[in-house]
Formats: sequence, structure tokens, C-alpha cells
Amino acid sequence: MEKMIVESIEDFGLSKKKHQHTLFSKIGVIGCGKDGQNIARIASSYGIEVIFIELSKQRIDFAYEQLGKILDRRIENWGMTQGEKKLILSRIRGSLDYKDLKECDFVIEAIRTESSARKITERKEVFKKVEKVVSPDCIIATNSSTIIITELSSELEHRDRCVSLHFFVQSPEAKICEVVKGLYTSDAVYDRVLTFVKLVNRQAIPVEESAGLISIRLYTALLNEACEVLMEGVGSMSNIDTVWKIGFGMRFGPFELADILGIDKINRWMENLYSEFGDPMYMASPVIKKLNRAKRFGKHVCWGFYKYDEGGKIIGSSPMNSERI
Amino acid sequence: MKILVLNCGSSSIKYQFFSLKDNTLVAKGIVEKIGMKGSFLKHEKENGQKVMFEGEILDHEIGVEYILGVLSSPKHGCIKNLNEISAVGHRVVHGGELFTESKLVNDEVIDALVKYTELAPLHNPPNLKGIYALRSLIPAIPQVAVFDTAFHTSMPKHAYMYAIPYALYKKYGIRRYGFHGTSHRYVSARACEILGVNPEGLKIVTCHLGNGASVCAVKDGLSVDTSMGFTPLEGLIMGTRSGDIDMGAVSYIMDKEKIGTKSASTLFNKHSGLLGISGISSDFREIREAASKGDERCLLAIKMFDYRVRKYIGSYAAAMGGIDVLIFTGGIGENSDVTRAGICEGLEFLGIELDEQINAGSRGQEILINKPGARVKIMVVPTNEELMIAIDTQRIIAESKSQDTRPE
Repeated sequence: MEKMIVESIEDFGLSKKKHQHTLFSKIGVIGCGKDGQNIARIASSYGIEVIFIELSKQRIDFAYEQLGKILDRRIENWGMTQGEKKLILSRIRGSLDYKDLKECDFVIEAIRTESSARKITERKEVFKKVEKVVSPDCIIATNSSTIIITELSSELEHRDRCVSLHFFVQSPEAKICEVVKGLYTSDAVYDRVLTFVKLVNRQAIPVEESAGLISIRLYTALLNEACEVLMEGVGSMSNIDTVWKIGFGMRFGPFELADILGIDKINRWMENLYSEFGDPMYMASPVIKKLNRAKRFGKHVCWGFYKYDEGGKIIGSSPMNSERI
Repeated sequence: MKILVLNCGSSSIKYQFFSLKDNTLVAKGIVEKIGMKGSFLKHEKENGQKVMFEGEILDHEIGVEYILGVLSSPKHGCIKNLNEISAVGHRVVHGGELFTESKLVNDEVIDALVKYTELAPLHNPPNLKGIYALRSLIPAIPQVAVFDTAFHTSMPKHAYMYAIPYALYKKYGIRRYGFHGTSHRYVSARACEILGVNPEGLKIVTCHLGNGASVCAVKDGLSVDTSMGFTPLEGLIMGTRSGDIDMGAVSYIMDKEKIGTKSASTLFNKHSGLLGISGISSDFREIREAASKGDERCLLAIKMFDYRVRKYIGSYAAAMGGIDVLIFTGGIGENSDVTRAGICEGLEFLGIELDEQINAGSRGQEILINKPGARVKIMVVPTNEELMIAIDTQRIIAESKSQDTRPE
């Protein structure tokens, strides 16, 4: 067979001008836990290249493995094909080096902090590290929902480029995203973020800067009340969930949802909200605190409010009565 | 007259460049992986030499720019100046009920296409991107949209309506539109040319069998029925699409598998068809190979495919009150002699008698494959949608010029 000539396409543009980089052809995600994985997967499935930064090679491998598993589950449930999975994974690359974020025009921080005392300082450090390597017009965002973006961005050189956006982790297919403009955020940056949200086929819900946004405030209040109802013995856990689901047409009950979101995370949210607002409404119920101390963090460890088998199916319930925490 | 034909997909642009003085293809190629890693442009010159261009192609406009750049480059091109391109023809998937034939693109046409993206969310947006790209790169160039659905707008109402509440037709335009129209139109017209007959009074069934597949009943040169419907999912069994299926089964599966509309759509569009039955591949060649080694499910997939096409041929013969010509086209229709034989088997009562010897081994060429003296002419006619689009484009441009008779 005749050998094919290979050329570089850049020499064949009509004008000699350098092609402007398309917005959001490459984004960065710091931290590839559950949140980070979801953001990476969503962005990649809309054709965006993703670099995620993790702390160790093991964590990168683990994140890849998890991503593969999530996509496999979607294939099993007919939502995707093998080819699409390959394509999505091929666009996601893990790295240990912040320098790899250099060409990103959007970086989202999605790290997990173990102690709530360090949560702001750690994130501030991340923001600073990102700012060092990216171009001045790269947008830096946090996926955290209870931390104020103005505070995170306060020590940066270009504070106007920071926003907070919140993807819904419990149902990653939920087609919305809360977007918060900080005190310093410029209109231009905010508009670009709205474009990004549109690009990944989500509806942007503009939210004023306030800890807990809309979603977390509503949900934590609900969960606290559900715990009250449970503690008072008004109804059983599964019946409370059922009433919420069937009675109000919700997809998950408050306890099921807590297990999906992670008890540890909810506990942190509530600590943040309580310290922000000082309203006891946000003080985590003793049930939540007990579960958190017992490391019954939810579905991902097969035990939270409910017990789960490896496949994530509920096999038992009732943390208050039949089993002591 | 030199015409560039573009077929813009979600991440690819196929192009062919014709010189219509003698209907020759001067160059062709494809841009792939637009907006992704590893994007490239593969160009094939008139002499068959292929050139690969690698580099970042971030969107459709840049893709089109490079196509124009390559076509007009001294090193690999075939024109000196972009002015040599007289017009651009676009393949547009959905033209709704409004577009009964190819149209010169203007603002109204674009507005209508934007409206129809609701009906073809995967296909119309990239088609539009191609149109926008040309508008911004060569604003003055005339562009023509050639619709996949246009040929089927001649279907009578009793053929295109679904028996569901009429209000839904009024509200959302739920009806059968049909697709592959340019191909069915081209091969049916070409068959008449080859046979040297007038399409008037002729009853033709065209089978476009490729990765997507549809059958069309062509009477007096007009489409009177076709197997694809509101979307390209209806009708024949395809590579990964189920084709006709009982709606009751659909809602039952969704219930049992606990899936929503999106996953259901993926299930019936991407996990079904030949791939779903065989469990091996959506590619007919691979299925044939496995079947030859005795794979039961591949044998079944082939039988089901042939049977479904046969049923449609029979029903269209009934719909038209007879059949004079049966045409095979598309990748499978043009190249697979065994498929053609499998489909025609048992249709002798209709006058469809395949000449096994002529059929065997004939691939990708215009040929008559019926027995001498058989009532129905059976033909293989390789489709050429791009040429059809180019010819349409030339005609529309000429018409628009003759209408444009303002005094100087």
C-alpha cells in the first residue's frame, strides 16, 4: 500500500492568525473523590478534556477504577455503550503535578478535608497553588457548598476569577448546578461559568453567596427533622423514607439520601452551617453525630442509616432500636 | 461549476468536492474527532493519493476552514482560489414538514432549521454549525440545504400518521417523516435511467441497507411510504437499533429495568438490533463470519434481518398494488450477495426471482441481478447521496439566478 503523507494541519488554515483557544476545551479538577470523579465524568462526557490532580499514584488509580465502575454500571443499565465509556475515560487524565493544569481555562477544587478546622486553609492553599500555574484568565472554582467563595479567593492575586459552583453528587444526572458569585467575582467570569454549565447540559441556578446554598440548607433541615421524628418514635426509618418518597413523589427518602451523600460529609456541612448561622436548626441531630462517630458513613462503606450489601442493596435498617450504635 | 458538499456530524465533517461539468469527484475527505484529542483531517485527491493532516481542530468552523485551506493549498489542493467554489451543499437531516425539496439557505431557512432541532437533536445542530461556519468564512457563497426528509414529504397522510391522539400531531408534529430520502431518491431515479424507463407508472421498492437501514416505496417517482418514522429508530432491524417493536414491551422493560427515557433510548438505539441479538457485533461482516462457524445467535440475527426486510417489501408491494423494480443499496445492500439472496428467498410469488449466479460476488456496482424474463427487475445501485446533493445545489443555484432578474 502507498504510504500516506502526514502533515500538520496548522499550516493549512485560511488566515495565518493563531486560532483562539476554545473556551473549556480542557478543565482541571483538584481532588478526585466522589465529587471530583463526577465532575470529571460529566465534563468528559460532553467532550471536554479533564486533568485531575491527586495526592498519590494510588489515589489516581483508585479514582480511575471508580470511574470505570460507574460507567460499567451505566452500561449494565443500558445507559451507555462500551465505545462511549472508552471515549469518556480517554479524555480524563490524572496527575500529581499542579503544573499540568497550565493549559486549563477552568479549574474546580473538589478536595475532601478530614478536619473541619483545616477546611478553609487547605482550600486556600489549593487556590494559591492553582493560581501559580494557570493563565490569568483561568477561572478557579470550588465545588464546596458551605464555604464562602469570597473568603477563599480573598488572598489571590486575581480575586475576580473565582466562583463557587455546586454539582449534585447524590444524583449526578440531575441537570442542574448551583452557581454562586462571590463579592469579587466579575460579571465576565460569571457569564463564562454559566456558559460552562450550559456546555455540560445543566441548568444554572444562580444563588447569592450564602453557606449551604439552596440545596444543602433545605436538605439538612429535612434530615434533622426526620431524625427528630425517628427519635420520638413517631415512625420507623423505612416508613419515614416511604412517606417522603411516595407521599411527596421524591426519588429518595431523607435517610436513604443521607447514606448516598455520606454521613461524614453531612456532619461537616451542618457544623459549617451552624457556625455560620448560629441557628440550632442546623445543629446535627444526635443520630447523625452517633453514626459519624461510629464511622457508619453511608452506602460507600455499606453501613449508614441502613445496611447495604456489596452491590448497594439495602439489607437491614433501624439504627435506633434493633442494633445499638 | 464546482460544488462542495458537506455532511456535518456531531464530531465529524465529511466532504466531497465535485466538478459538475462532467460529474467528477475532484477530492474528498473527512474531518474527525472535532473538539477532541487526536483530531485529524484525511484528504483524498482525485488520483487516489491520501494525505493525513493532524492537529487541533476545536470546532466545526475550524474544521471547515481547514477543508477550504487544504482544497485551495498549492501543495495538496485542487483549486487556486476559493472563488472557484460556486456553492456549498449541505446534507441536513431534518427538514420537518416545511421543506419538501432542497432549499437555498437564507435566514428563514436557518430559523426553521433551528426550530427542527427539537425533532432531530443529534443531527440538526451539527448541520447548522456547518452552515454557520461557511457564512462566517465565505459570507457571499450560496449554500443549499438538502434534506433527508424531503423526498418523503410526498407520502400520503394515511401513510405518515400514527394512530395516536390527533392533538399530538398538531401539538408536536408527531408523525412519520422518514429518512435516507436523498439516497432513496437517487437510487430510484438512477435505476430508471439505467433501465431507460420513465418513473411514471413504475412501482419501485428501494432497500437502503447500511448501518442504518430503511425501505422506501416509490410510485411514479415519488415516495409513498418508508420504514423509518418519527425518528430513524422505526422499521428495519439495524446495526444497533431495534426497528419496529411493541410499545407495550418498551414500557414493560422500562418498568422492570427501572430505567428512564434516556436510558431506554440508548437501549433501543445503541444496544439493540444486530448487536443486541448476536451479542457479538453490529457489523454484518463479523456476524456473517461468526455465523459461518455455527454461532446460533448470529444465524438468528441474520434470519431476523432478512425476514424484516422481506416483510417490508411484501407490504410495500401491497401498498402500491404491485412491484416492478426492487433496488438494493447502502453498504450491506451493495456488497452482501448473501443478504440480497436471503431477502429475496420466497418472494418468487411476487415475481421477484434472483439470478443466483449474477448475484453471487457482485459488489458495489450497478447491476441487474434478476433472472432473465422475471417480472420484477432486481438491481444493485450504489448510492451517491453526495452527488445528488451537488446536483441539487447546482439546480437550486441556477433557479435562484434565473429568478433574480433585477435590471442592472
